[in-house]
Amino acid sequence: MNAPLLEIEDLCAEVSGKQIIKDFNLTINEGEIHAIMGPNGAGKSTLSYVLCGKPGYTVTSGTVRFKGKDLLSMSTEDRAREGIFLVMQYPVEIPGVPSTTFLKHSVNAVRKYKNLPELDTMEFLKLVREEGRKLGLDNEMLKRPINVGFSGGEKKRMEALEMVVLKPDFAILDEADSGLDIDAMKVVAGSVNSLRDGKRSMLIITHFQRLLNYVEPDFVHIFADGHIVKTGNKNLAVELEQNGYAEYVKVK
Amino acid sequence: MTLMSGEIYSYSELAAKAGVILPTPKTEAWKYTRLRDLLGTDYQLCETTSKKGENVPFSANIIHISNGKIVSELPHIEGVTFQIISSAEALSNYPFAKMNAAYLTQGLQIEISGTLNQPLVLNYFMMPEDKNYFYHFRNRIICKSNSKAEIIEQFTYDGNVKSCYLANIVNEIEIQSYAHLDHYKYQNEAFKANHIALHKVNIAEGGKYDSFCLQKGANIARNETEVSLNGEKAEAVVNAAYMMNGWATLDTTTNIYHYQPQTKSSQIVKGVIGGTAKGVFQGRIHIAPNAVHTSGTQLHKAILLSDTAEIDVKPELEIFADDVKCSHGAASGELDKEQLFYMRSRGIGEEEAKNILIEAYLNDVINMIENEKIREWFKSLR
Ligand SMILES: Nc1ncnc2c1ncn2[C@@H]1O[C@H](COP(=O)(O)OP(=O)(O)OP(=O)(O)O)[C@@H](O)[C@H]1O
Ligand SMILES: [Mg+2]
Repeated sequence: MNAPLLEIEDLCAEVSGKQIIKDFNLTINEGEIHAIMGPNGAGKSTLSYVLCGKPGYTVTSGTVRFKGKDLLSMSTEDRAREGIFLVMQYPVEIPGVPSTTFLKHSVNAVRKYKNLPELDTMEFLKLVREEGRKLGLDNEMLKRPINVGFSGGEKKRMEALEMVVLKPDFAILDEADSGLDIDAMKVVAGSVNSLRDGKRSMLIITHFQRLLNYVEPDFVHIFADGHIVKTGNKNLAVELEQNGYAEYVKVK
Repeated sequence: MTLMSGEIYSYSELAAKAGVILPTPKTEAWKYTRLRDLLGTDYQLCETTSKKGENVPFSANIIHISNGKIVSELPHIEGVTFQIISSAEALSNYPFAKMNAAYLTQGLQIEISGTLNQPLVLNYFMMPEDKNYFYHFRNRIICKSNSKAEIIEQFTYDGNVKSCYLANIVNEIEIQSYAHLDHYKYQNEAFKANHIALHKVNIAEGGKYDSFCLQKGANIARNETEVSLNGEKAEAVVNAAYMMNGWATLDTTTNIYHYQPQTKSSQIVKGVIGGTAKGVFQGRIHIAPNAVHTSGTQLHKAILLSDTAEIDVKPELEIFADDVKCSHGAASGELDKEQLFYMRSRGIGEEEAKNILIEAYLNDVINMIENEKIREWFKSLR
């Protein structure tokens, strides 16, 4: 079996004094694709923010190890530099900062952490344009301030572009498929698959089986009330699509 | 007023000698900018130095002014005549301009009658050594009808950063009909220094004054601009940016007077303030009874980087005419937390992320500078 990449044990976390993640356990080994499905408000995005160390998301107990290191003691930027990438459900608009400039800061910050030399500007532009073209983001788009005024689908493509350029060891995709048309879904799935090399791992949060048809998961987890209530293979996603979550959600 | 070299004088003492009443905390026009440190310092006349400040990174005609005195040859420029002046008008309403006249160090009259093909830089440079020098410099800038020029003022220093020197600069600017002056200023004085500047601008029919000032130095700094739009279709742009992380007070004060119909003014001021520093913006737009079809707009925006930073904003609209377009707005806030998190989640360190956001924030106003070389220069200074 492959070495564990991410090990989450008995994780409890709260936002604004409200406990959202409750005794969450999950181990993801190198090369594995895990999918998490669950009803609205279950805490899926909260989990992904906790893993990225977003301010305001407080871990009250439990441990998380990434490549054997204590993840929870790292700053948000160091987690990213160590290889964690979150495709956000709601990407953030940053007026005045062109997408390419943003990406360059990001790539070079990660390279610096790894003691690699900064990328040459021409080299970098070539890379970004090429990957952008594959994702349907043209040069004009790349010059615009990042995410500002982008359509929902364009934002998700930009997230995918950032991901393929940064080549993370572990990517969390929080509803990367929402707002995408069918063609775009295939394109984004293509860039996810292009990163698969038997070592990189993914955690795919989604409401629909669709994306999972293109990026085949090794495990599908049902997430309800702050933790995993059932784990299965890709057939679990098909079953959910038909029956919904009623069986797994406590009647309140 | 004769002063003895090597003698120590407080500014209040100098004012009393010259019969000038300096602002107190009760003076309305100065209520946000406390002059305590400025008034409490003992100053002395400067023994002149000939050291020149840094050049600018683009081709320009440069006049070096060191410790308040011109230390370079005046350039020969077609369409420009220079004249050294040794006395200046007091300018009522402005106590510091009165002081400037009473204790004038030196002055320069610049008369422009053509289209200048490169900017004229007034490069003020302070070498305070370990003394608290003061200087009073005056420019009289006359833009003849249909002339076109770019003037840049740069204020820097070298040597003892702890000197509490005082730079008091007054520009009298006359823009004749259909003349156009672009006026840029970069203020980066030593961190305990005082910098008080007044630009008194008169614009005739169809003339245009387009200005931008970046302030990031000094302990107490005030950049005050008075514009009188005296002819129809005269226009003024008075933009500024300021950034400060220490404990200083950076003050931007404007008084725009629309005296004639179809005149236009706009102001965009953006500030970034941290530490225990204070940003002050006082902006007055006055529209006289006959100045119909005019437009005057004003916007001040600031980002506070700490809980202890402070912003004081006082907009004043005095509108006595009908059929005018006038607006003012002010907003202040912190750096956006979601944006910071987004950047950090992509590996960008917190400090770098903040700097990127601050840059983007100030770029808004810097990007309005048309001349690309000057625009890029300001970006490199920020
Ligand atoms: N800052 C906050 N303050 C209070 N409650 C919050 C905050 N952030 C999230 N929550 C609550 O935490 C719960 C989990 O939210 P989260 O966004 O993680 O759900 P989700 O599983 O991602 O849902 P969806 O499928 O709709 O994206 C919700 O009830 C939400 O309202
Ligand atoms: Mg969510």
